[in-house]
Amino acid sequence: MILRLAWRNIGRNKRRTGLTVAAAVFAVVLVVHMIALTTGVHEGMIETNVRMHAGHLQVTGAGYLEDRTLERFARWTPALARAIDGAPGVAAAAPRVNGFALLSNGPASQGVALLGVDPAREGAVSVWPERVVRGEFLGGGEREIVLGERVAEALRVDVGDELLVFTVAYTLENAYEMFRVRGVLRAPDPTLDRSLALISLADAQALLVYEERVSEIALLARDAARLAETRAAVASAVTTVSAEALDVNPWQRVMPELEQMLVIDDAQNYSMLGILVLVVTFGLLNTILMSVLERQRELGVMLALGLQPRALFRLVYVESLLLSGVGLAVGLALAIPGAAIMEQNPIPLTGEVAQMTAQFGVDPIITWKLEAWNPLAATALMIGIALLSALYPAAKAASARPVDALRSL
Amino acid sequence: MAAMACALWASSASAQTLEPPPASPTAREVAERVENNFRGESGFLDATMIVKSPRLPEPRRMRFQSWDDRGGKRSFVRVLEPAKDKGTAFLKLHPNLWSYIPRVERTIRIPPSMMLQSWMGSDFTNDDLVRESSTLDDYTHRWLGVDPSHQGSRAFVIEHVPKEGAPVVWGRIAVWVDAARLVPVRQEFFDEAGEKLRVMTLSDLRAVGSRVYPHRWSMTPLDKPGHETRIEVNEIRFGEKFADDIFTQRNLTRRD
Repeated sequence: MILRLAWRNIGRNKRRTGLTVAAAVFAVVLVVHMIALTTGVHEGMIETNVRMHAGHLQVTGAGYLEDRTLERFARWTPALARAIDGAPGVAAAAPRVNGFALLSNGPASQGVALLGVDPAREGAVSVWPERVVRGEFLGGGEREIVLGERVAEALRVDVGDELLVFTVAYTLENAYEMFRVRGVLRAPDPTLDRSLALISLADAQALLVYEERVSEIALLARDAARLAETRAAVASAVTTVSAEALDVNPWQRVMPELEQMLVIDDAQNYSMLGILVLVVTFGLLNTILMSVLERQRELGVMLALGLQPRALFRLVYVESLLLSGVGLAVGLALAIPGAAIMEQNPIPLTGEVAQMTAQFGVDPIITWKLEAWNPLAATALMIGIALLSALYPAAKAASARPVDALRSL
Repeated sequence: MAAMACALWASSASAQTLEPPPASPTAREVAERVENNFRGESGFLDATMIVKSPRLPEPRRMRFQSWDDRGGKRSFVRVLEPAKDKGTAFLKLHPNLWSYIPRVERTIRIPPSMMLQSWMGSDFTNDDLVRESSTLDDYTHRWLGVDPSHQGSRAFVIEHVPKEGAPVVWGRIAVWVDAARLVPVRQEFFDEAGEKLRVMTLSDLRAVGSRVYPHRWSMTPLDKPGHETRIEVNEIRFGEKFADDIFTQRNLTRRD
């Protein structure tokens, strides 16, 4: 009975109803897209950074993240390799030695981060091999080096040229060796481009007199959403085979600045969302209150005829829910396919904006990502708005006294 | 906890027990007298460096000779032992630092960004090796006080603060100067944030001609427990006139 009454009531002022529903639709579409965009951009940033270098997880010597020196190491033994490769949830693993070296060619010299990587494994974890713009990535050869584009520029060398790699070994001796440039790569991040050189793991271990030690083992998880499980599995797998204490760090610990950036960005987006919700709530409240005040006489008559105030309260509430419900349905019907289409067709960025995003290590592309919780969150929000905004008008309607209501006209 | 409190007290004890400085000489005058005694216009040094580290089963020893021409802002260092590093040489010709590596027959230029890197794996830096800053020209000096019994002797404690734009990598340096012989015996190096990063002690004071010179220098980095580098002076001579051809690229690549 109340439902029918409510439905007829909201049909009585079509223009007002239309505007209110439109506001709700707009809110739902905006919420869904905003969440999809935030999720998509954030996931893109995480994936780019994870694949750029860090991996989802990193196995390191205990305390390596706080003190990145050669003293903190893991031993990359066949047993450790088997344990990590076999841990459930691990898609790929790549051991690395992180050193520091001076590269020199004639009068030109350049300090770089010297990475020793396993050419057979690295490509499964990071995109370094795909980043090569000239020559090739490391293969099985000895004393070959791949340089960041700007490093090569600074040293005035190119593919095929020789240069001297000079560093201090783990044994605290001077270590130096001639290397041949095998490839030149372009890192999306200019600072990396200016300070990166890769050699094979075997060469790095020989040069640094590091034996089977490595600085980190970067892992890619099969399912990024179940990182905690994978982390626990890896942690228990490595403790049984490693004599040294090891850390298993998630990317959030490896790249705290990325994690912080995402948290700040989330905070901004959700504050915006909060403001939006508030605006829509007041808009809805205004509409419903108007409709209640306009119908004072009618409501008074209903009360006089013996309708319970509680029933009036319910009537107003159902009206509000109907308005938001229609808005929600239409909104979702528009927003979900829209977001799905955007997810399939990300927007590529060009020009200056692209260069700017590149500095943050992100591919210049805007991606949507529609997850199941997103429309559910929008639904919950909209219902919340409806319940909240109807509270005062409904109470107002229910508390009306028939005599006053009739007289007030 | 008690042990920690004790260690904390010990590390700051020297600062706490300082007596107020005398009215004369001024901090600047102390620095001038030390400089006149300690650093000649030129000096030849033959020394052995001993590097201790938890990484090494036993300390690593290395012998080198250095020719330091302060007036000409140039210096030359050649490694003699061990055989593996023999012939490795360094040439500082303001503003460049070159290093020659005999095994690959290459000369490399060590850029300014590498000056704070370890020299030959030791706790000394490239900058220590060829420091071109001048105690008198590049720093202002301030009294910290008098240490009545630093290793049994009275010591003046003078703070060196680099002047704006000076080629100095430290925030400040606290120097203990033996009051009787005017020789530095301890240096504490602080970064710009005021954190103490390393301590150098100079001991085994011996007469060299008319001067007194510390024959044992010990560098301890505070952020690397168990690391220590000692330099023991085998021979030191002051005031020689060096031939110009010592400070040349040709000498750098010379093999005996």
